[in-house]
Amino acid sequence: MDEQHPLWERPFDRKGFVAGTAALIAAAGLGRVGDAFAAPAAPSGQLFYYNWADYVNPATYKAFTNKTGITVKKDFYVSNEALLAKLKGGARGYDLAVPTGYMVQILAQEKLLEPIRWAKLPNVTRNINSKFRHLPFDANERWSVAKDWGTTGFIYRTDKVKERPTTWREFVNLTKTKYSGKVTVLDGIPEVIGSMLVMLGYSYNSDSRSELDKAKKELLALKPHLLAITSTEYKQLLISGRAVMGLGWNGDGAAVAAKKPAAYVVPKEGGEFWVDSYVIPKGAKNPDAAHAWINYVYGPKQNSVETSYTYYGTPLKPALVKPHLTNAIFTNPAVFPPVRTLAKLEPNKVSPRGTALRSRIWTEFKNA
Amino acid sequence: MVEEAPVLTARRGRRRTRGGGLRYPAWLALPALAWYGAFFLAPLAFICAYSFAELTGFAGVDFTWNLENYRYLWDPLYGEVFLRTLGLASFGTAATLAIGFPFAYWLARYARAKTLLLLLVVLPFWTSFLIRTYAWLIILDPGFPLFRALDADLLYSTQAIYIGVVYNYLPLMVLPLYAALERMDWSLVEAAGDLGDNAFRAFRRVTLPLALPGIVAGSLLVFIPLTGEYLIPVILGGNKTAYTGTLIAQQFSEAHDWPFGSAIAMVVIAGMTVVLVAFSRIAARGEVASG
Repeated sequence: MDEQHPLWERPFDRKGFVAGTAALIAAAGLGRVGDAFAAPAAPSGQLFYYNWADYVNPATYKAFTNKTGITVKKDFYVSNEALLAKLKGGARGYDLAVPTGYMVQILAQEKLLEPIRWAKLPNVTRNINSKFRHLPFDANERWSVAKDWGTTGFIYRTDKVKERPTTWREFVNLTKTKYSGKVTVLDGIPEVIGSMLVMLGYSYNSDSRSELDKAKKELLALKPHLLAITSTEYKQLLISGRAVMGLGWNGDGAAVAAKKPAAYVVPKEGGEFWVDSYVIPKGAKNPDAAHAWINYVYGPKQNSVETSYTYYGTPLKPALVKPHLTNAIFTNPAVFPPVRTLAKLEPNKVSPRGTALRSRIWTEFKNA
Repeated sequence: MVEEAPVLTARRGRRRTRGGGLRYPAWLALPALAWYGAFFLAPLAFICAYSFAELTGFAGVDFTWNLENYRYLWDPLYGEVFLRTLGLASFGTAATLAIGFPFAYWLARYARAKTLLLLLVVLPFWTSFLIRTYAWLIILDPGFPLFRALDADLLYSTQAIYIGVVYNYLPLMVLPLYAALERMDWSLVEAAGDLGDNAFRAFRRVTLPLALPGIVAGSLLVFIPLTGEYLIPVILGGNKTAYTGTLIAQQFSEAHDWPFGSAIAMVVIAGMTVVLVAFSRIAARGEVASG
């Protein structure tokens, strides 16, 4: 499609072949042999996009293919950790993925990423809000470009939960009493444990054994009252009314609210603030297609199509997207939280030690 | 001459029993052996090596001779998970046997349209295991007529996991049972009756020993995969309960602790080996008993 980059292409073509073969062998073990790795070598060709479920407007795939001739092949992961496990395990051939900030850092450390070629991203350099450049997890912008951002809090059905909870403590107390059996939490270790830590007045990223122990006690007491532990089905459970509250992400909250009376809350105690970023996994077969995708969705109009579907905050300059968004979305605090809400939030920076302690707590939580 | 004759007949006799048919070329087993080597033994060796490795940083691994992973597993918490899994696998085996045996018996001895009925047993395999399990979410929903009538809310409960297990594993039990009972010579049962056995004694002394290989095969087919069952607890149980399958998955994908996950897997494999040996002993005894 755009100009050739012989210096960039040549070494990676060969590497791509070797990595592709390795991926095929790895894929055989994972039971996913097939057309996944049979993408043609042409720079148009195919984009293999590894993503969170429901994180792209289906209309965008079609529009992108119409515009560029690149077809999109999709695969999905349920957590940053699952993405890491897959890439670490040797899965190759993915051209694009969208981990959260802390995971960008880990993937870069583990040498599982290809560099971003900013020269191929004119829309990004032109349209990005400068707040989303040089983010702390990738200060030199070598590995990532922001996709969107959001918060972790809770969602409730306003027609069924009349108490109007605004804090984690209320969320927990209501779960243990009136709405027992009607509440879900994410299947995410840092999110759930971090929320309990924040409720207790500690850091989302605490490494302290005694603080984590207190968070564990809260979780064990909560467990018998939960309907399910899920990151993928809770939206549907909230829409159907099987669940009336759910610990989750703001975009999912806004998506539920678009269908049923519901509200998304950033609890008063605080919570997680995250930025998901585009990265190009190691061994990508078609990095040109990945760059083409990033550049495409950084068009203000195209990006607004995304925001209207995912309900997550955009990294584009607000003035550029405003004309393309409905007022309901542009002024929705779940999509674009006010600055004073954001001030209380922390990004995930859990250490390896903290991860190990959390994993053990998670097993106790599931075992309870 | 007199002495030679028996030797000759003996040799001839030996040759006759050995060369009863065409010789089977041993190299035909090579593809299967290569497959097992590459996709069973090699991964097993990897898991074993990982189980002694040490986690460094977020996802790094140092291959050492480190027993920490196993020591960490020596903990009542993981003991509970193993026991719960054992309970699930035992329940699944017992329940599918209790439901499957009478059905297979009827199918082999009395049923008319055997081919059609067998087809119905196999039919679920034509749809993905995943989709069939998801379908149960609709059936178990308290809004579904059956459970609304019973006023039961089983969705995301332990009972839902048990129902899903029986449903999904029943064909794996029925087919080997049917294969064993189909080969039965029913006149033996009639003979036992003629010789004074009542129906129960005839069943216990004739039918059961002859069906034992089928019972063992079916039980293994159900029990062993159940010790690693992952999908049913996640989908029908709401992912709320820890079983060894979900515990191992958590180590690999959420905690990025491959060494610990591998240690759990090794313990499960060792446990299964014990079960397999025990079952094959039972089967061998059964074959001796049935001649």
